[in-house]
Amino acid sequence: MIMDLQTLVGVVPDLLEGTLVTLQLVAFVLVIGFLIALPVALARNANLRPLRAFGAGFIFVFRGAPVLVLLYLVYYGLPQFAWIRQSAAWVLLREPYVCAVVALSLNSAGYAAEILAGAFRAVPRGEVEAAMAVGMSRFHVFRSVIAPQAARLALRGYGNEVVFVIKGTAVVSMVTIIDLMGAANAVYFNTYDPFTPLLAAGVIYLAMVAVLTRAVGWLERAMWPELRAAAPAIGKAVAG
Amino acid sequence: MGELPLFAYGGGWGDELLRGFGLTIALSVVAFGLGTALGLATALGELSKLKPLSRVLQGYGAVIRSLPELLIIFLLYFGGSLALQALLAPLGVEGYVEVSAFWAGAIALAIIQGAYASEVFRGAIIAVPRGLVEAAASLGLKRWIIFVRVTLPIASRFAFPGLCNLWMVVIKNTSLVSAVGLEDLIGAAGTAGENTKHYFTFYFAVLVAYLLLSGLTMATQSRAQSRLFSYAEAGRGA
Repeated sequence: MIMDLQTLVGVVPDLLEGTLVTLQLVAFVLVIGFLIALPVALARNANLRPLRAFGAGFIFVFRGAPVLVLLYLVYYGLPQFAWIRQSAAWVLLREPYVCAVVALSLNSAGYAAEILAGAFRAVPRGEVEAAMAVGMSRFHVFRSVIAPQAARLALRGYGNEVVFVIKGTAVVSMVTIIDLMGAANAVYFNTYDPFTPLLAAGVIYLAMVAVLTRAVGWLERAMWPELRAAAPAIGKAVAG
Repeated sequence: MGELPLFAYGGGWGDELLRGFGLTIALSVVAFGLGTALGLATALGELSKLKPLSRVLQGYGAVIRSLPELLIIFLLYFGGSLALQALLAPLGVEGYVEVSAFWAGAIALAIIQGAYASEVFRGAIIAVPRGLVEAAASLGLKRWIIFVRVTLPIASRFAFPGLCNLWMVVIKNTSLVSAVGLEDLIGAAGTAGENTKHYFTFYFAVLVAYLLLSGLTMATQSRAQSRLFSYAEAGRGA
């Protein structure tokens, strides 16, 4: 039997509670990941060689490492050092939830930094020079010329990264956090029925990703007005 | 370097870690091989003129790409045991049957790899210039010969960078199979950490091993790529 209706009705509240934990984690990771990724991306494109090396190194390490290794390093690894256990940060770092946010944020920042750095580089050089020629300050150029265009260019890649964060949060169930994945596993261990909870959780993950994909598509149409205008124009040219 | 004796071969945890590393590589190779073949077959099915087949295969890709890797591994491992039990029960085998963590993991990772590789192959096959295929057809070559001798060699060049990326994804995903008890690299490091309480030391070693694999892949990729595309670079000029 693949799906058991009785078990399904029983697990829905647990799974929904787990879904809230997952969504909250995703929100934390995306915000903190972005805040780390932005300076790293700027460093990656900097003129100063040491800064550039730092940016590239950060991206190499946090994209190359499996997220589970990062999570275990923070959760199991850091308490190995007495000075960490005696430091003020220990109040936070002994919480599995904090460890999960730290590990997932660093991992996401590695990918996000690469996406942002690529988007910054793709902004046409002439426009930046033009803005500087009219006497804009460097910050003003960044805010008014580079950032808005980079946001458009990064949108699709960043949307994919959000999907990976949603899926990636499932590993937190390995450090005792009851997220959606953890809730489904708990049901399995209580009922010995793997299909009902895992497939139901799968449907919820699918729904989250589907909603996000829609949202990115909508944002894309909102941010690329020329795409909306260009599509019928090309059609007309071909028809005419 | 007080931590170094921990990695000694035999007396320390060097042999366990090395065995785990071997499992990680073996699992990566099996999953990548099976998954890439699955991805190529899926891409061909998606591009076929049979609409229902194409729809079903696109659905497979979209669903698998939306699910957490861990969930698929659990589903195959726990579900696989249950399914095997149900299959073997009529044959008189009773009690709990457990599928191997390695094979459940390998199949799960292959299914995931197939879903991503199909995208890479589909793009690569579409990118093969139509004129080349038509030229081959005008010579009277059979369809499968055109595919093997013309489409595939050119498409695999286009697919190469994408497949290199996916190879790194597969290596990283193998770490998740430790969740169902496989003593791969990260699993072995966990055992070593549990026994010595030097978790950081061992997981850091795992991190370094993964970064070495990733660096090695990148270096091999850029060398192979310049050779694969040497004809294009010569012609491109600027």
